[in-house]
Amino acid sequence: MTKASLILFLLLPGASRASEAPEEQFRRGLDAAGARDYANALSNFEAALATDPDNLRYANEYRQTVIRSKEYDRSLKFFDKLVTDHPNSANAWLNAGFALIDKMPVSGAVTQAILANTALTRFTNSIKLQPTIVALYTRGADYLYWPRVFNRTPLGIADLEEALKKQKAAEKQNYFFKTWVALGDGYWKLDRIEKAVAIWKEGLKEFPGNADLQARLNKGGDELKAYMDDYYDFNKRVDTDVRFLWEGQKGH
Amino acid sequence: MVRTSNGSTGKRRSKFGWAVTIAVAAGVLLGAATIPDQGLWFRDITRSAGVAKKHQKRTFNNVYSSIMDGYSALGSAVAAGDYNGDGFEDLYVTNTAAGTKNHLYRNNGDLTFTDVADEAGVAIGNDAHNASDDALWFDYDNDGRLDLLVVRMGYSKLFHNLGNGKFEDVTKKAGLYKHMNAITAIAFDYDRDGYVDVLVGSYFQNIDIFKPSGPRFFPENFETANNGGGLTLFHNNHDGTFTDVTEKAGLKSSGWVLDVGHGDADNDGDDDLYVACDYGTDRFYVNNGDGTFTDKTESAVGFDTKKGMNVDWGDYDNDGLLDIYVTNITDEYMREGNFLWHNNGNLTFTDLSRETGTYDTGWGWAAKFFDYDNDGWLDLYVVNGWVSAGKESYLPDIFAMLIKPGVDYADARNWPPMGRKTMSGYEKKRLFHNQHGEIFKDEAPRQGMDSIRDGRGIAVADFDNDGRLDLFVSNVGTEPYLYHNVGPRNAHWSQFVLEGTKSNRSAVGAQVRLTAGGRTYLRFVNGGNGMASQSTMRVHFGLGESKEIGKVEIRWPSGATQTLTGLSPDRIYKIVEGEPEAREFVAKARK
Repeated sequence: MTKASLILFLLLPGASRASEAPEEQFRRGLDAAGARDYANALSNFEAALATDPDNLRYANEYRQTVIRSKEYDRSLKFFDKLVTDHPNSANAWLNAGFALIDKMPVSGAVTQAILANTALTRFTNSIKLQPTIVALYTRGADYLYWPRVFNRTPLGIADLEEALKKQKAAEKQNYFFKTWVALGDGYWKLDRIEKAVAIWKEGLKEFPGNADLQARLNKGGDELKAYMDDYYDFNKRVDTDVRFLWEGQKGH
Repeated sequence: MVRTSNGSTGKRRSKFGWAVTIAVAAGVLLGAATIPDQGLWFRDITRSAGVAKKHQKRTFNNVYSSIMDGYSALGSAVAAGDYNGDGFEDLYVTNTAAGTKNHLYRNNGDLTFTDVADEAGVAIGNDAHNASDDALWFDYDNDGRLDLLVVRMGYSKLFHNLGNGKFEDVTKKAGLYKHMNAITAIAFDYDRDGYVDVLVGSYFQNIDIFKPSGPRFFPENFETANNGGGLTLFHNNHDGTFTDVTEKAGLKSSGWVLDVGHGDADNDGDDDLYVACDYGTDRFYVNNGDGTFTDKTESAVGFDTKKGMNVDWGDYDNDGLLDIYVTNITDEYMREGNFLWHNNGNLTFTDLSRETGTYDTGWGWAAKFFDYDNDGWLDLYVVNGWVSAGKESYLPDIFAMLIKPGVDYADARNWPPMGRKTMSGYEKKRLFHNQHGEIFKDEAPRQGMDSIRDGRGIAVADFDNDGRLDLFVSNVGTEPYLYHNVGPRNAHWSQFVLEGTKSNRSAVGAQVRLTAGGRTYLRFVNGGNGMASQSTMRVHFGLGESKEIGKVEIRWPSGATQTLTGLSPDRIYKIVEGEPEAREFVAKARK
């Protein structure tokens, strides 16, 4: 097992040292969410996370339930406390960042900017603790949403290049195509079109038939610009559901 | 049977040597011989028309001047109206810098204008304590002559039209001498008592922005600010005076108002209101028909967090219901998107801006519905751009303030200086051609209308009475544009000048439904809708290929209805409330 995949493995829920109690709370949370008893579901997920703050699966289900119940402020408050109580929990920081991104579609334009910026700080804290492929990809992709005037695209490319390096050294995962997509997008945003196309093509070699990569390569000029503008429209919900980490193809 | 407005039939030649009398019909007028230049439908005639005087921005001489410079990128407004009753639409254009004068451009009838503001007594607009922001023509005393309200941050001014080319300042006498940071005004008869009332929208709260006593006069937040100037409704007392009835009418508010627009959303005979607010929620007020309004924002459009700049009403899809177009900020850093509120007919609206292609017009300001090609579908012209200055962007400065924890936005001292920086500048204007009410296609580049000046107001009017609608665009800190419509003459049209008798004399609020070619079109007389501008009060219809007009139904503000038949296209008619016949409208102008 390579170092990168070891790090990833350590972050996956199966590897977290969950005691029975949080797992039981998580199950109760899932049942309540299934029954649309969101208040009960959120309480159970919160209890589980308070005990196991690094558990990606708990946090993911919690955030998906928050989106369904529109309890964004509760979620932000909860994650604020979680990272205060567990400042060395890399996944808590990562999810605290995701929680901010989750609120963006229901926020005004200025609040969106504040949320996105705060999320970057949280992703950085996560990377400082554990520079995983997922965390690097997440921060790198976040940088790509920023207007060019902020000059954050090169930072995004740096993160994504680093993530790609780690990917190449790790066992291939289905979701790795995302890094190829985003890295190409970064170069496209810097008007380095040839480089962008080369990255997407290389990604397509790794992931033949991938729809996201193919869509970019099938377009050019204004059509591609319109596609990218739409793709990076921050009024649209960014998919922060990371279930694909343990469910195979999810995330395409 | 058609009579001329002076009672005679056919053309009339003035007995005065200086007068040119023109029977207004297609092909008769000055523009008749014009051929589109290289396919352009609009020709920039700003300089040849004599209306090219540059707008001058306000500068502030106080401790907040470094940020106020951004806010001084306003005040370039235009109002079209036939103040001297010669049948040609004139223009009042505002300036903003202290010591500068506003302009009253009298239309000479030959696509030239003469600035007569000084001799008319309406030139003075801007001084140390007042800055013009908008202008409004309206006949407040029903004497048949358009009076003038100069909307100012400070004290607005009401000028009574004396009928001899001169105006008298009657602000105090009329009860309108009230300090407000007014930025927009419309005149409409909200209680249908036969006199137009005045609704004023104010941006800043009621402080002296030229000499503020404290620093906390900026918006408290960017999305739901409620420390702005709000609305003020002045009821017309029928004796030349007005009374502030804002609270009684249910319009008390404190938003950062940038524009207001009236229109009858539910076709119940009285006009409802849409209010566009910066830094927060637009408002929709339903007229209860008893002199009061009810805030129905939530059910009608929902609460938004955007930066509403413009309100114009028009039936863009010809379904017999007035829709609303609102501009917001759409840029790489803030994708608010405009609203094209499609009227669902039950006092609710659905935003179809994305579906129709009218969503993104940059940092939008005025936008006006008008049928520039006379095909029967209302097109849209939209101006935009906040500050076009140096290469450096102001955005990172604003952003740095936003992410500071606990910053008090209301405190002007916390806002970064703007200097020579640009924000949402050099944006191209949009001329949206309406494709049968389904989608709009931007024709601005093709028609030479995609200027990158910072636009603010748009006055739509047929300045040469040739049946094709022209545009005057006010730009901030630079010259305006006068676009003469020289498009092909292959479509028919009809225009109506309405005169109320029981209704207010200018017939503001009157709805006209014209049936031709199997389709019924709805247009109405609007009393100044649109950011920093007022378009013609004439009702214009593009008729496409229809060579006959079936009928014309007028619903007057008084409630009376009138149906006329036997009218011909390609004519301007004057219709007086209660008179069974339309008169052919006659224009006369002096060179």
